[in-house]
Amino acid sequence: MSALSRAWAVCAKDATQELRKKVAIIAVFFFAATALALVSFGVGPFGLRAEDRPPLLAALLWIILFFAAATGLPRAFVAEEETGTGLALRKTIPAVYVLAGKTLFNFILFLAMAAVTIPGFVILLEWKVGSFPAVAAIMVVGGFGLAVVSTFLSALVARAGQRNVLFVLISFPLLVPLLQTAIRATTQATTGEFPSEGLRVLIAYDGAAACAAYMLAAVAWED
Amino acid sequence: MVSSLPTVPTTIAAESLSKAFSGAPLFRDLSFSASSGLVAIAGRNGSGKTTLLKILAGLTRPTSGRVRLETDGAPPLSVSEQRLAIGWAGPDLALYGELTALENLAFFRRAAGRPESEPVLVRRLADVGLAEEAMRRPVEEYSTGMKQRLRIAFATLFDPPVLILDEPMVALDVDGRETVHRVVEKARKRGTVVLASNDERDFAEPEQRIELAGAPGREA
Repeated sequence: MSALSRAWAVCAKDATQELRKKVAIIAVFFFAATALALVSFGVGPFGLRAEDRPPLLAALLWIILFFAAATGLPRAFVAEEETGTGLALRKTIPAVYVLAGKTLFNFILFLAMAAVTIPGFVILLEWKVGSFPAVAAIMVVGGFGLAVVSTFLSALVARAGQRNVLFVLISFPLLVPLLQTAIRATTQATTGEFPSEGLRVLIAYDGAAACAAYMLAAVAWED
Repeated sequence: MVSSLPTVPTTIAAESLSKAFSGAPLFRDLSFSASSGLVAIAGRNGSGKTTLLKILAGLTRPTSGRVRLETDGAPPLSVSEQRLAIGWAGPDLALYGELTALENLAFFRRAAGRPESEPVLVRRLADVGLAEEAMRRPVEEYSTGMKQRLRIAFATLFDPPVLILDEPMVALDVDGRETVHRVVEKARKRGTVVLASNDERDFAEPEQRIELAGAPGREA
């Protein structure tokens, strides 16, 4: 069986569990909906000057996406430890496949959340997007980086005390470059430019994060 | 294609194992090796039986010493094969409550790169005494005894040449105890069973016996 099939087995297992319990889905979507509602009440379509709108709305969008994701993505490994299933996973499946499968699930969860949040953002804040394909590309590339780093850090902190606090503390410096680049690229996409430089940086970030996660998977999850 | 687990005699060897958490070590310089039969691990509560078994299963690191797995006349096992060549079940082992017993076993087989058909998995679960109706129910609905049977099915899922069982009779009724005895007898004919228990009746004529004294002051 190929490596992809084994990772897919982990992803499918996580998806089945999630569809039956809906813990992460409810947390992520409820946070996204609440944050979106609050932002739309606070800022609304007319609360910002026209020239300030692209960068501020891009920043607000990524703040909503990041914090909504932060309520669900770290559960990947933490839930395994909390329910005691981590031992069975460690006993039978190499860490790299577990990490790949859980990253894939978190990536799909992020894309689903973005697919629901962005139309709401467009409607409630009258967000004018110059290039939807560019925004979609940023979501895919930025979301992948977010999923890789969040899933890896989840493995790292899963067995630590105060893991939720630790996750936020460790993830902040690692995700700032990604978020900063994603916000800048989204601002460009709003104004109709194609953010080729931002996408290149995000792809490089994703590659570096995926390589580091691959090399350190066993250390993070098994040791 | 993934190679199958060894069918040749496999030796598990513990070499000078020591484990300390804080203060005096639980055990020090513990060595044994076995290629077949039953190894009984006895000792009071807190003497380190569970810790020793987790070290043998590769789930906990010893403070010093090592565990080796050797196959007679066959190429050395890869890390992945070693992982599957030692089956383990203990009180800490939990399987996915949202999934059925069949889904649990199917998932672990698939993710380990060795998928198995449903009829084979059904037979595995029937061997530990789970009824077909129960196999298709979420594990979170199981009684403690049914969960224990599922743990035994998990431990034997890859037909490992080394089977490690920590208090396997806990929470089982008479029928369940007989089932585990059958599993142990079958496994000790195929390879080695390392079994820890507080109940002497669980050790049916062991080939080796290791008595753990535990660290002073740690007994329950």
